[in-house]
Amino acid sequence: MKYEVVVGGRPFVVEIGDGVTVDGRTATGHLYAIPHTPLFQLEMDGRITPVALTREAGGWELHVGGRVWNAVVVDERTRQLRALSGGGKTGAGGGVVKAPMPGMILRLQVEEGQSVKRGVGLVVLEAMKMENEIRAPEDGVVVRIYAELGRAVEKGAPLVELGPSS
Amino acid sequence: MLVANRGEIALRIIRACREEGLESVAVYSEADARSSHVAAADAAVPVGPPPAAESYLNINRLLEAARSSGADAIHPGYGFLAERAEFADAVAEAGLVFIGPPADAIRAMGEKTTARRRMRASGVTVVPGTTEPVADADEAARTASDIGYPVLLKAVAGGGGKGMRRVDAEREVRAAFQQASSEALKSFGNGDVYIERFVERPRHVEIQVLADRHGTTVHFGERECSVQRRYQKLIEEAPSPVVDQELREGMGAAAVRAAEAVGYVGAGTVEFLLEPNREFYFLEMNTRIQVEHPITELVYGVDLVRQQLRIAAGARIDRTDVPERPHGHTIECRITAEDPFDGFLPSTGAVRYLNVPTGPGVRWDGGIAAGESVGLFYDPLLAKLIVWGETRPAAMSRMRRALDELMIVGVATSQPFHRRVLNHKPFLDGDYDIGYVETHADSLLSAEEPLEDLERIAVAAALAEHERRHAAVPVRLHDAQCDGSTDSAWLRAARRDGRR
Repeated sequence: MKYEVVVGGRPFVVEIGDGVTVDGRTATGHLYAIPHTPLFQLEMDGRITPVALTREAGGWELHVGGRVWNAVVVDERTRQLRALSGGGKTGAGGGVVKAPMPGMILRLQVEEGQSVKRGVGLVVLEAMKMENEIRAPEDGVVVRIYAELGRAVEKGAPLVELGPSS
Repeated sequence: MLVANRGEIALRIIRACREEGLESVAVYSEADARSSHVAAADAAVPVGPPPAAESYLNINRLLEAARSSGADAIHPGYGFLAERAEFADAVAEAGLVFIGPPADAIRAMGEKTTARRRMRASGVTVVPGTTEPVADADEAARTASDIGYPVLLKAVAGGGGKGMRRVDAEREVRAAFQQASSEALKSFGNGDVYIERFVERPRHVEIQVLADRHGTTVHFGERECSVQRRYQKLIEEAPSPVVDQELREGMGAAAVRAAEAVGYVGAGTVEFLLEPNREFYFLEMNTRIQVEHPITELVYGVDLVRQQLRIAAGARIDRTDVPERPHGHTIECRITAEDPFDGFLPSTGAVRYLNVPTGPGVRWDGGIAAGESVGLFYDPLLAKLIVWGETRPAAMSRMRRALDELMIVGVATSQPFHRRVLNHKPFLDGDYDIGYVETHADSLLSAEEPLEDLERIAVAAALAEHERRHAAVPVRLHDAQCDGSTDSAWLRAARRDGRR
């Protein structure tokens, strides 16, 4: 069975049959569950790596070496079907700058229609008593301001929409 | 002993009480009812809703908890009320013992401008700058030009980087003054700001002092705390790679003078900025037990929290008990619920699994157990991982080993950052200052992972998916709780990708 795994923004083709191949390279690979824990031991090419695995909609969350990874796992057939129908590719979130954490909007530092350079402060968000300046990720024009002064926002809430600079 | 704190420091104090034969009373907010520190104490009293202002910072509730539980003394830990003079006063007025310095000493050191005046008067060198708050943005601009850019605006009542701004040029000074002042007002209820010269790339080296009620003040050498991000310490070590015995004695003597100048009692820390030319400047004194106190304990063979308890009970310090120099080497890594590869954003969730490193020379001061939740109400510090080794390289090697053993599942933590630092040549060479993390951000904070490691992760995910689909009896892989919160790992991943 062939799977396409996307992790860390990079795709891998993993084929699992009697053995394992990764991008065409043959390897040995086994996954042993450790009962009553979310832990597994990955044995690959003779090396053991402890891995915690949690299934989430659409893929797996992995804890390895202290890092958290989200892997999207799709079998080859599904991947081909998606490619044919043009699905599976979602557009980028436009130029919407979102709240990186829950907090309160303390200051709005731009106006709609204003041109901004990358790194310019857009909004000051207060979280955990610290003032966090949310900056423009790239050059652009402020198309819309979602953030309202003094309002609490959830993590991921849209703050400012940037359009391409004219 | 009522412990007016939570998390790892509450547990640390409760352990000290037990070892001293004292009964301990924990307090907890509604968010902490099932926390480790509550389970460890002899008794526990609820003190209010999750926001700290309504619980851990609520002086009346805490005093009431002390009365109802029959406590004789209150240990404030660090943070929360530890450096609020009015709390020390209130505790004394309630007829209880405050485990800490006299309220006047807290006041003198807490007001940074007062502290600077007192230090100058007692011959301790401070960073050049004002010893009075600046009145407004215009005065800030004038004073900053006099001192010369870059300067640092600092909250008079400050600490922990709050209400602090670096200013490089005159055009930034007004906005920075406004930000620093408003942040200071919000964090400390006092918007006063003063200005000092920005010392370029010094090291942050602090001296542990201990003073009894009978006029004896001693020091336990230095802690090197230069691995910081936005004034938050991440890794500490003792001894400092650049402090020799002569410098140690000089800084130690200055720290003792600083403590004596304010009539200090108990455990305290005098922070210095150390320049490459071995000049050092008094920065501030922390009038409490410090997060990183364990590294001093390991190289000096002292239990600082138990010393605090004994000193409060009237014990005398015996100078012959204080080693002249540190023995071996220690490092501490602060394990926080923050994602180092996503701007150290706080991470929340339930800890589903925890494997704590053990074995020779390893100490874990934690306040979290599997099953507990990490929220946004409090400081993100989960635990401190501390190791001791005969030499600095031995300690480094041991820390790498301990970090390999540590497994925290459920929240993103600073663990992978520590692994990078402990494999980073400048750090291993002791070649770093407070600009270290910023300077090496490309290698330390990059989300990139070696291809070989990504490949293993991909194989693990594919094998797990394969087993799920093909196992005759479904393998029990833990399902994440889908509670519809906006904090799903998928949103986190999407956000990370979107930002690239």
